[in-house]
Amino acid sequence: MQTSGHTHRASRTLTGLVGLVATGILLTGCATTDSPEATEPVSGGTLTYASGDAEPTCLDPHVGGNYPQALVSTQYLESLVSRDADGTIIPWLADSWTESADGLSWDFTLAAGVTFTDGTPLDAEAVQANVAHLQDPNTGSSTGYLALGKVTGTEAVSGNVVRFVLSEPDSALLESLSQPWLAIESPTALARSQDENCASPVGTGPFQVEKWVQQESITLVRNDDYSSPPEDATHTGPAYLDSIVWRFIPDSASRYAALQSGDADVIDNAQPDTIAAAEKSDAIVHLDAPRPGASNRIELNSGRAPFDDPLVREAFIRSANVDDAVSSLFQGTAKRSYSALSSAETLAVSRPDLFDYDPQTAADLLDDAGWTERDSAGYRVKDGLRLTVDFPVSTNQSIPAEQSVFEQIQATAKETGFEVVLSPMDLSSWYTALGENDYDAVSAPYTKVGPDVLRILFHSDGITPAPSGYFANHAQVDDPAIDALLTEAGQVTDVDQRAALYTDAQNQVLEGFHILPLFDQQNHYLLGTDVVGARALPTVSTPTFYDAWLK
Amino acid sequence: MSDLEIQAGLGRSPRTSPSHRFGVAEVLAGLFGLFLITAALFPALVAPGDPLGIDPLSAFQTPSPAHWFGTDESGRDIYTRVSHGTGSSLLIGTLATMIGLGLGLVLGTLAGMLGPVVDFTVNRFLEVLFAFPGLLLALLFILIFGPGVATATVAVGLATAPGYARIIRGQLILVRSSAFVEAATVLGRSPGRILVRHVLPNALAPLFVLGTLGIGQAIVWASALSYLGLGAAPPAAEWGAMLAAGRTYIGSAWWMSFFPGLFIVLTAVSATALGRGIERRMRHA
Repeated sequence: MQTSGHTHRASRTLTGLVGLVATGILLTGCATTDSPEATEPVSGGTLTYASGDAEPTCLDPHVGGNYPQALVSTQYLESLVSRDADGTIIPWLADSWTESADGLSWDFTLAAGVTFTDGTPLDAEAVQANVAHLQDPNTGSSTGYLALGKVTGTEAVSGNVVRFVLSEPDSALLESLSQPWLAIESPTALARSQDENCASPVGTGPFQVEKWVQQESITLVRNDDYSSPPEDATHTGPAYLDSIVWRFIPDSASRYAALQSGDADVIDNAQPDTIAAAEKSDAIVHLDAPRPGASNRIELNSGRAPFDDPLVREAFIRSANVDDAVSSLFQGTAKRSYSALSSAETLAVSRPDLFDYDPQTAADLLDDAGWTERDSAGYRVKDGLRLTVDFPVSTNQSIPAEQSVFEQIQATAKETGFEVVLSPMDLSSWYTALGENDYDAVSAPYTKVGPDVLRILFHSDGITPAPSGYFANHAQVDDPAIDALLTEAGQVTDVDQRAALYTDAQNQVLEGFHILPLFDQQNHYLLGTDVVGARALPTVSTPTFYDAWLK
Repeated sequence: MSDLEIQAGLGRSPRTSPSHRFGVAEVLAGLFGLFLITAALFPALVAPGDPLGIDPLSAFQTPSPAHWFGTDESGRDIYTRVSHGTGSSLLIGTLATMIGLGLGLVLGTLAGMLGPVVDFTVNRFLEVLFAFPGLLLALLFILIFGPGVATATVAVGLATAPGYARIIRGQLILVRSSAFVEAATVLGRSPGRILVRHVLPNALAPLFVLGTLGIGQAIVWASALSYLGLGAAPPAAEWGAMLAAGRTYIGSAWWMSFFPGLFIVLTAVSATALGRGIERRMRHA
């Protein structure tokens, strides 16, 4: 809670200072052996990461499955496969894999000699335990659960070969398995209570969770026995850093100040104005890594009035002046999107023609839809009801510039006669509002590797909540034609056929005015120049510090 | 403000020669107060623009003749927003003070008039409330009833009530033991009549001073709650909410948070200066 921020900030600062002093001592120790322009990685040191995302309530990304969990768990958990910068799936915990001719079973051969940090070996049974954990309703998984929707079971073919059995072919299986929400954890650790596993999940990653002081920081220490880097890593063996202190600084100005002062080495969720300032500075490096999957968009709830009427949806979209908002607020750091998918996805369909700002057309559409009268405040009225759009805004998931975009949309939509009620709220209240269908418009990030995210977001199955209570089809698109296209696209292995089906499905979603695309899901990291070798993992663009070292 | 200080000041009953001198602070505070009241009642008079009207192309402009206080991230004019925010800030401050005074009056009267048992009970209850810092009490209330302008107003009112109750109780006890009340009792007036005719009028006059002083404090608290995102929601033109919105850009656009902050400070200072002035005049009247 924000109100208790002062005391926590003080103690965080203290932790940061201690970390900084420790780093300083270690660096002084190393400096004697290195030339001033050290290009050879040096071991040691503590990296302080300051996150603006919400603090996870559980460090095991199987539970729920959101981006804050992915950010931190990338440091200590690993997946069966990864993706390289070109978008090709590459080996990670699995060395190789084969798909059966009918597409209904996949055999994964696991890397040899890998153990979890609690000593449990990585074998076929461990993978089975993870799939079972993700599919167990008691786990409360949403992201991982949905990604494994077609997996009906697993078999241990041998000690190191595990078979996934599917109900129907899944063209997105490898993309799904590459994500941090489907990372492989120690079966021994998973057997503990959920509370215990949430506090200290155990994986095979280059770091391991040492301690988690809630609302303050997570301390990660190096896994000295690490042996399973993905194929695109630049070195082998243990990580260079001794430890990582993972802090939470929700306020963006304080976060940037922490980076400037050296209290933090890396920050995420950088604001457009700070990115613009950082680009002029020699002391800060900007890493722009848009998230894959969905674009950042406003989803219009067609499951209840007024957006159950496509005319009203189109009117809202035409009444929103997004272009001016994006150019003024993002100062060139974000580009307007006209697509349901991130520009990181090669199959993204962009339809600028559908999203023109056109208040006149919007007004005509409202007239056609029967919202002909206006009340004293200038809002449209029909049958005595005001044209109101309830818009809960998660302050944890939308940076201030995004919230300002919503305010500008609120202002331009008002001219057409929409009353947009923006309600800033914390993450749990926001989940509650969605769960109770108490919203007309919402902006929710959904990150997933590959175009299969369309199935999650727009297939009518996505209206049914996952075991965690979360559902992803916030637009509540319930269209048999779109369902059929997405189902087929998820099954076909032919690349061209898959592309054609996803293109068709995207066009139907966009032409149905179910969403108002804004821009790519922004993901900007700012790093001090003392941090070398950090990169965003090309799966879901979370940062990895395996190759990172401190100058 | 210190409750004891006020209590001591208010407790002085001998009336001496009136003072008609106005201090510089009082004149300035009065002028600023006049501006605030005009802005609150007729915002269009002092700032004709639309406080919510956006103009993305002129975002982040520094203070200039066109935009006296500059513009915010959506190109809204800060001067217009600050002026139009006066009404809601004053309303929240006044309502919260009235709630606080009203509750304080009930509790204080109970304690001061209904004998030692009730006095003891109410006092212990007040002591429990005093154990929490006022703002914490307000936060607790918001936690239970949810954020919003209405709850923030009630929350601030509730949080200030114990302080008022204490002062009113002390004042009542002081008046009750005065010679004229004793005289009325001796003359055989009924207790109800004594309360209404003699005690309350003499004990409650100082409430006006308390109220004036309290409004400043209530505005500061209400702004604090909005700043924390628990009062008015953005983009509403409310000082605390504007301060919070400006925080993000404090490194690049200082005017976004400076001017709303300045108005909060000036309002609180003016209310205090005026309250003190009235207090002094009453003492000498």
